Amino acid sequence: MVVDARVDALKPLRSQLGMLLTPLYYVAELPVRAWDTVYLQLTSRADLIAENERLRAEALLAKRKLQKLAALTEQNVRLRELLNSSELLDERVLVAELIGVDPNAFSQRILIDRGERDGVFLGQPVLDATGLMGQVVEVMPFTSRVLLITDVSHSLPVQVNRNGLRAIASGTGSSEWLELRHVGDTADIRVDDIVVSSGLGQRFPAGYPVGRVTHVNTDSSQPFAEVRVQPTAQLNRSRYLLLVFSPESAYGDVFNSLSLEPDEALIEAEDDESAPLESDTPPEQEQSDAQ
Amino acid sequence: MRSSLIVGCTFLAALILSVVPMPTPFDAGRPMWLAMVVAYWVMALPHRVGLLTAWVAGLATDVLFGELFGQNALVLVMVAWLMLLLYQRIRRFPLWQQSLVMLPVLGIAHMVSLWLSSLAGNRPPMLLYLLPAVVSTVLWPWVFTILRVIRRRFHVH
Repeated sequence: MVVDARVDALKPLRSQLGMLLTPLYYVAELPVRAWDTVYLQLTSRADLIAENERLRAEALLAKRKLQKLAALTEQNVRLRELLNSSELLDERVLVAELIGVDPNAFSQRILIDRGERDGVFLGQPVLDATGLMGQVVEVMPFTSRVLLITDVSHSLPVQVNRNGLRAIASGTGSSEWLELRHVGDTADIRVDDIVVSSGLGQRFPAGYPVGRVTHVNTDSSQPFAEVRVQPTAQLNRSRYLLLVFSPESAYGDVFNSLSLEPDEALIEAEDDESAPLESDTPPEQEQSDAQ
Repeated sequence: MRSSLIVGCTFLAALILSVVPMPTPFDAGRPMWLAMVVAYWVMALPHRVGLLTAWVAGLATDVLFGELFGQNALVLVMVAWLMLLLYQRIRRFPLWQQSLVMLPVLGIAHMVSLWLSSLAGNRPPMLLYLLPAVVSTVLWPWVFTILRVIRRRFHVH
């Protein structure tokens, strides 16, 4: 076990065995898939027509937004050029399908059907249609495992969309909410604020929605305010996910060459945080550990 | 040869059962299918299924769950070892008494798995974590009966 945790020697063996064994997840999912198929076959024509119309309307709306987005992107690029910044918003995505959920009730991980052969890399950010979902922690040849942002061992650097306030969003083990750590009692944060990824950890691309603040509790007997964030991503419902290849992560090359083990980094970060907290710890320092 | 195949099939079924999607409220109480199957076969055929089989089955679980190599393997070896110590007595017990003995056997194994996973950095809630052992104990009479029917039907020796 220690060998597996500290040395990379067993990784290939592990991924090969994983390839052999993951079909079990498919088998276990069979009843669900069969139900979906039967449901599809039996949906009435009227339902389908209604759904089709709804989707068409949605597509229209999305297209309208897209037109605007194109103009905005142009404008953004021009403004960035004015500022002499070479950074361009250029990201590729890959669609993946969920094939299994971690049977351990105390960890929030899922299995997706893209692996090393599709270019998936360790630490790759994963999104769904509505927000940030998590990052890849284990890559097998045809599948990979994704740690969700709500897992207790996961933290990510975020900022409040309204005023740019930076914070760390840590998972709580419940898929309903995240917790913002080390937010001062006087910080300008309100219920219904949108929290987006800040990109400071160099792992998640900046600007993707993470959640909405649902609860702010400023208790003067506590060193920090208690802020709860409800994830915008449908963590326990999404079937199709997006894997992001972003320039920040150099499309995977940096992480592959570093062969950084996120699990370990997270464990260390956890240990740091469980030590008695000092109120003057600047959040930026935590961010570099917690990503 | 044929009996090994049958035993292997029950292991496979247990592995599939242990990753079957379950509704969230029941997920914390997912029975330890593989541990129960290992316990049954060690009790029924101690000359055929032993520590090595348990170890291999455990490694398969580790890969399947994405946990550290050897974590579940150690747990299953513990179950097999305890059953090897106890099988001569347990075999003579009535079913309900067998279940009572299974509680500490599976409970100890699950505690070890709790320690290992907290060493690996995950901190699950303590008492709730033992729920699978209790659920498995309650299910033991049925698992035992089904596996015995399978063993007798296919004459596994």
